[in-house]
Amino acid sequence: MIPLELNILLASTMFTIGLYGLATQKNGVKLMMCIELMLNSANINLVAFSAYLPNVNGQVFALFSIALAAAEAGVGFAILIALYRLYGTIDLDNINAMRW
Amino acid sequence: MDFSHYAPLWGEALLTALAVLVVLLGSLMKDSGKLMGYLSAAGIVAALAIVANTLTISKPAIFFFDTVSVDALSQFFKAVFLIVSLLVVIASLSKYTGKGADVYYALLLFATVGMMVVASSVDLVTLFVGFELASLSTYALAAFDKSKKNLEAAMKYFIFGSVSSAFMLFGFSLLYGMTGSTKLADIAAASLGNFGPATLVALLFVIAGFAFKMALVPFHMWAPDTYEGAPALVSAMLAAGSKKMGFAAAFRVLLIGLIALRMEWYLAFAILAAVTMTLGNLAACWQDNVRRILAYSSIAQAGYIAIGFVVVGAAYGAAPVTAFNGLAVPAAQLGIAGALLLILGHALMKTGAFIGTAQVASMVSASSEKDPDDISNYAGLAQRAPITAFCMLIFMFALAGIPPTAGYIGKFVLFSSAIYSGLLWLAVIAILNSALSLVYYLRIISYMYLKEPAGPKVSEPKGYVVALVLTLIAVVWIGVFPQSFVDWALQAAAVLLPQ
Repeated sequence: MIPLELNILLASTMFTIGLYGLATQKNGVKLMMCIELMLNSANINLVAFSAYLPNVNGQVFALFSIALAAAEAGVGFAILIALYRLYGTIDLDNINAMRW
Repeated sequence: MDFSHYAPLWGEALLTALAVLVVLLGSLMKDSGKLMGYLSAAGIVAALAIVANTLTISKPAIFFFDTVSVDALSQFFKAVFLIVSLLVVIASLSKYTGKGADVYYALLLFATVGMMVVASSVDLVTLFVGFELASLSTYALAAFDKSKKNLEAAMKYFIFGSVSSAFMLFGFSLLYGMTGSTKLADIAAASLGNFGPATLVALLFVIAGFAFKMALVPFHMWAPDTYEGAPALVSAMLAAGSKKMGFAAAFRVLLIGLIALRMEWYLAFAILAAVTMTLGNLAACWQDNVRRILAYSSIAQAGYIAIGFVVVGAAYGAAPVTAFNGLAVPAAQLGIAGALLLILGHALMKTGAFIGTAQVASMVSASSEKDPDDISNYAGLAQRAPITAFCMLIFMFALAGIPPTAGYIGKFVLFSSAIYSGLLWLAVIAILNSALSLVYYLRIISYMYLKEPAGPKVSEPKGYVVALVLTLIAVVWIGVFPQSFVDWALQAAAVLLPQ
């Protein structure tokens, strides 16, 4: 079995990459990908802990969170499509009329 | 099968069924927007009656393998969410009647159900599912009018909201890994103190996730943009409902699940609370957009409410103090009760204030280039729309914490609990902040009552007026007869503390 530490390391790395991407990227779709990375890193954690403990709760939690991440992506892309229709771009730097 | 023992949860079941029914009927019938609105309002009233049945339930009723608990605390929050949702639906009857209105009401109902689930959940999975149900519905609602501003607001809200969910989920996964359970009671029973740094990381992620939803500084950046850009009635739902859901979740997770770490989170919340109220109030003084002012004021109010966590951390297990009503109450219980009262009061005041801004925005002609929420539109509102102006006046005073209103009672109990538990410095900062907040509330009032009218007298839509007057009565009622509400909040607070 792969040691627990490596699993957590993978999950933390994925989470950090997602967070870094959110801070640096401007394209709406890329931001969605970063959010998915962050959510899925938590799923890796859950499944790894579940196998290591062993205890099935974590896998159930991971299934729920996968379903919710899919629903979240659905709503997110719907908002992005509506944005594209109105603005003609999904570069979020151009969509920033409100500040301070 | 006999479902009768699920009676305390029929409210959630009813609203879920109604939401599905509303979408279904809406797609079958033409021009049914108004009917769907009345149907939703009736459903929420029925759910409120079911919740009222178990309002002061003394022994928690546990359902679904220890994941859902119906107790005084959950019923308190459910009552708040249902009242807010009812007021928003009543006000919406004057705005959303045409095509697509059925979807609007269905999303509102789903959001309410999600919040109610969060209020009841004593398990991380249930809590996360409820949280996401409420969040996803409100992301869609924030973009509902599909104007440029709406979509920008919704996009920002969506991104920050998803990131906060990711933080929360990561924190939950670590908690699960360390304790082997997702149930809050089991997590509390595990000796979390022995797990070292990993526990602190989990705590940090969980607090960050909740703080996004509660809009505490420095996790508040989305709130002003979203409250300004989203449809005004949806902003009311976000500020009064969705934000309180963050508090409901944080109360359960931190005060039950992670109480062993109170020395760690207590300090974090002390700093967050002080910074949040100061920054929120200072930023509000510089705004010209009324909805932005209200957004920053609700950030400041979140800072006040967060004092409740600090009081619990400081006074957990301490001897009872003799409070103002002559009863001996532990300071921690008084702190939670104060936070709950402020949550109730703020939910009402903010709903009212945002409905007021919706009324003013509807008076500005659609063709004008001017920002419909600009403070100059409020000039002479007392003559143009007297009922709205008077209600807004009371809500502004209540938000500033002037007696006899709901805002005053909440602040009074909360700040006095802070003093009882030896947090004098925090109470002083909070009271100074309350004084500072008068600057921008009085500015709105002076525009409404002292300036020359910006246009002719207008007729006020019935839905807005009914919602505003109901809110006004509730805000003043709580302020004039606070005793039963204080008792109710104390009883709800007792759920979170060991007996």
